[in-house]
Amino acid sequence: MLSLLIWLPIFGAVVIGLLPNQVSALRIRQGALAITGIVLLWTLGLVTQFDLNNPGVQLQEYFPWIEVLGLDYSLGVDGLSLVLVGLNSLLTWIAIYCSDVNTNRPRLFYALVLLVSGGVAGAFLSQNLLLFFLFYEVELVPFYLLVAIWGGVKRGYAATKFLLYTAVSGALILAAFLGLIWLADASSFAYDSLLGQTLPIGLQVLLLSGILIGFGIKIPLVPFHTWLPDTYVAASTPVAMLLGGVLAKLGAYGIFRFGLGLFPEAWAKLAPWLAVWAAVSVLYGATAAIAQKDIKRMVAYSSIGHMGYILLGGAALTTVGIVGAISQMAAHGLILALLFHLVGVVEAKVGTRELDVLNGLMNPVRGLPLISALLVLGAMASAGIPGLVGFIAEFLVFQGSFAVYPLQTLLCVIGTGLTAVYFVILLNRTCFGRLDNAIAYFPQVTWREKAPALILTALILILGVQPDWLTRWSEPITTAMVAAVPTEQAVQQIVQVSK
Amino acid sequence: MLQTPVQPTTQLPPSRHEFAEIIHRLEAGGAMLPDTPENLKQIIGIYKAYAVPMDFYWRDLLYIAERVFLDPTPFFKYFLPPEYLDLPNHYAGDDADLRIWRGEADAHPELRAFLETGELKRKLPRLLHHLWHDRINMEFAEACMQSMFWHQEMGGRFNDFLDSEAYRQNCDRAIKAYFQGNPVMLGLYKLFPEMFIEQVRQRSYYANLGLFWEVMAPVFFEMCDRYTEGSLTSVPEAMNFLVDGIFAVAGRPIYHHVYIRGECYEIIPKSQGFTWLYEAALPYVEAVFYRVSPFRGTRSYNAQVGQVPKDQRDFHYGILYADIFPVGSAGVPPTLLMQDMLHFLPEFLREDYLQHCRGEDDMLIQLGVSFQRSMYCVTSAVIQALRTALYYPLDDSNPKHLEANRRFFEAQLDRFKRPEARLGDIQRQDYR
Repeated sequence: MLSLLIWLPIFGAVVIGLLPNQVSALRIRQGALAITGIVLLWTLGLVTQFDLNNPGVQLQEYFPWIEVLGLDYSLGVDGLSLVLVGLNSLLTWIAIYCSDVNTNRPRLFYALVLLVSGGVAGAFLSQNLLLFFLFYEVELVPFYLLVAIWGGVKRGYAATKFLLYTAVSGALILAAFLGLIWLADASSFAYDSLLGQTLPIGLQVLLLSGILIGFGIKIPLVPFHTWLPDTYVAASTPVAMLLGGVLAKLGAYGIFRFGLGLFPEAWAKLAPWLAVWAAVSVLYGATAAIAQKDIKRMVAYSSIGHMGYILLGGAALTTVGIVGAISQMAAHGLILALLFHLVGVVEAKVGTRELDVLNGLMNPVRGLPLISALLVLGAMASAGIPGLVGFIAEFLVFQGSFAVYPLQTLLCVIGTGLTAVYFVILLNRTCFGRLDNAIAYFPQVTWREKAPALILTALILILGVQPDWLTRWSEPITTAMVAAVPTEQAVQQIVQVSK
Repeated sequence: MLQTPVQPTTQLPPSRHEFAEIIHRLEAGGAMLPDTPENLKQIIGIYKAYAVPMDFYWRDLLYIAERVFLDPTPFFKYFLPPEYLDLPNHYAGDDADLRIWRGEADAHPELRAFLETGELKRKLPRLLHHLWHDRINMEFAEACMQSMFWHQEMGGRFNDFLDSEAYRQNCDRAIKAYFQGNPVMLGLYKLFPEMFIEQVRQRSYYANLGLFWEVMAPVFFEMCDRYTEGSLTSVPEAMNFLVDGIFAVAGRPIYHHVYIRGECYEIIPKSQGFTWLYEAALPYVEAVFYRVSPFRGTRSYNAQVGQVPKDQRDFHYGILYADIFPVGSAGVPPTLLMQDMLHFLPEFLREDYLQHCRGEDDMLIQLGVSFQRSMYCVTSAVIQALRTALYYPLDDSNPKHLEANRRFFEAQLDRFKRPEARLGDIQRQDYR
């Protein structure tokens, strides 16, 4: 059942890639939509099969593959991965839906998007470290090509930078995985078999550091973030949605699954520093966003800040904090996808993303009133305004972390305030004010362009007023993860024993 | 499409004015608006769309001035009684003083049809149509009247007369007759006579504007008919038709009569000798085209004590200067005029709008821009008429006369040097 989420898109990518030239871009797009539509429906079916009371891995699939390497085809889903698999399926469908009907080289474009979708789903579902790594690496080249071929200005530079950073990320993760196997003297990369490893705390910290930096590049966290603004800005709208909505979450997922999951003692030891790291990321992302003149770059920097909340929730090591962090992954994915889509529409219609040029888009007759209104809503959601999904995620993170790290939490709360600052700047300059009638001959926004934004907005609103529909999936697994973390005394004992 | 730059046709060297090309065009007998088929289509279409609500405006303005008068609760002043719909226009119909339009003298058929069923195309009680804003929006007409009232010293002798003793005595008679048997209102009049007289002054401007538009509506109808017939083929022809019309009716009396219980009270008698051109047309153009509301959001003025600035540069909302976008989104009176005109757009103009910009969705804006164009054509006619009246023929052989004409044109166009003026915009066909 889970395999279909991986192999249908990959199989679809192969078929689309081999289609003859005579097939029109529209047909190819429809085909890709159909495939991802099936995947999305399949994911919904998966949700109905999911047992909310079971904190363990469910719906498992297992096939031995290369036993000598400890590699097996082992899939499963739990409350952490289910949310992200759903996000991946949804955003891939939306990204394809809002792609240009007349995309250049459509076979390659849609094949790569489908390949990314399958690879990301595989990474989320893998229960074997090596299998995870293979799927993790699957998305590397497709994303590079998606940015390098269909990107905007400086796409070559941005794609290369992305490739280099991601390659280093992959190398660090692989090194950490191999180190774990070697040091733990394990015979398999199976996730379950590695859960009970009893490495000395120093080695755990070392391996965890590799994982944190490796996945920290992918999220990205400061100071490994410099690829992000360039890549997000250079990427076309659908690709930016996938980069911010899905790929960054893969990094966050990796930190929780393999960092917290495999090295809970080391995690507990490093947690105060992780909280500091989170606060620095949040404040840096927010202040850098304030300084931007390009609205897409501003949204990109906001992403850096918002990913910091996820790390803070994880560092707190409380059930509420981690549930908040997982919710933030989904909430941020939805909000960022909405913002990138809206920014893309603004750029397509107005021809610029420059804050100093944009003005008065809220004008009901010649502006982009619906897009502006949704931009306001997206900004509100990102700033954590109550009633929207961003609020509940950030609130849970802060609630879970305040008792443990009050100062870092307060700094992150200030970051939320700064989010409101830069979004007010964005909205004030972009949506409000006087529309210059010398340039205000923008094309109308079509329903095809409105639909993705409306779907995402509906989800942001629904999950905002009914947050239980978002949080309940991850509560059991979160409780189990927190229970697996030793108490501070136990950590001290482990440290003493190690010495 | 831009037309080829107009070279000076006079013996004078080329003008060095910022709008030299437009001045040369005016000297050649043209308008400020370039002569293109597209411009002609837009202005004629708008004249027709404007004339139908204008046919309501002038009738209702006269109704308010003559019948509603000082009603302290004028809730139904926009509910025009049948006799005012049947009121014969003096410049249309078989019995016209001067037949400008070949149509009928009573209310235009399209206006009657609209008043019957409105935009909803359903016959409902009149009050429901009114409350639903499915009506002719008299607020625009009143805003124009108020603009003339505020700015006051825009030429002519009309405003001076409103402060004369003769006017006060006429008002006094009418006020006492109107409130006969109403001791409360008469007592208030005794206590605050100036307040009542100021209200009558405003009613006099209602009458003034009503009489002005009574002329313009048939002029615009006739222009549209001629365009449809193919006998009006260029912007200068349209402008000259307006110039001829201005001179034909220049001497039309401007007066204010009030009818109380069947008796006519002459607040401003025809014998005062106020004329259409000097006491209505020129003040109207100056106040509405160049100035309009003096309120810019941060200051307000007391018109009664003469606080309204005299400098035209203090005003941005005259139709020749107004930015259609904010106006279109702010719900101020010109928006209501656009809404009124939208109901009566000729098909050829509607088709044109549908093919440009956002079609149906921003038709009001396109319509507003066309209205701006058409009013530049009217202003051109006024400038040419003034030149005819005060200066020299365009084909005068005396260079000094031509020089005087040029100075006049340059002085007129100096008023459009301000960045808010749309003169530069309307030179471009893609300004929509």
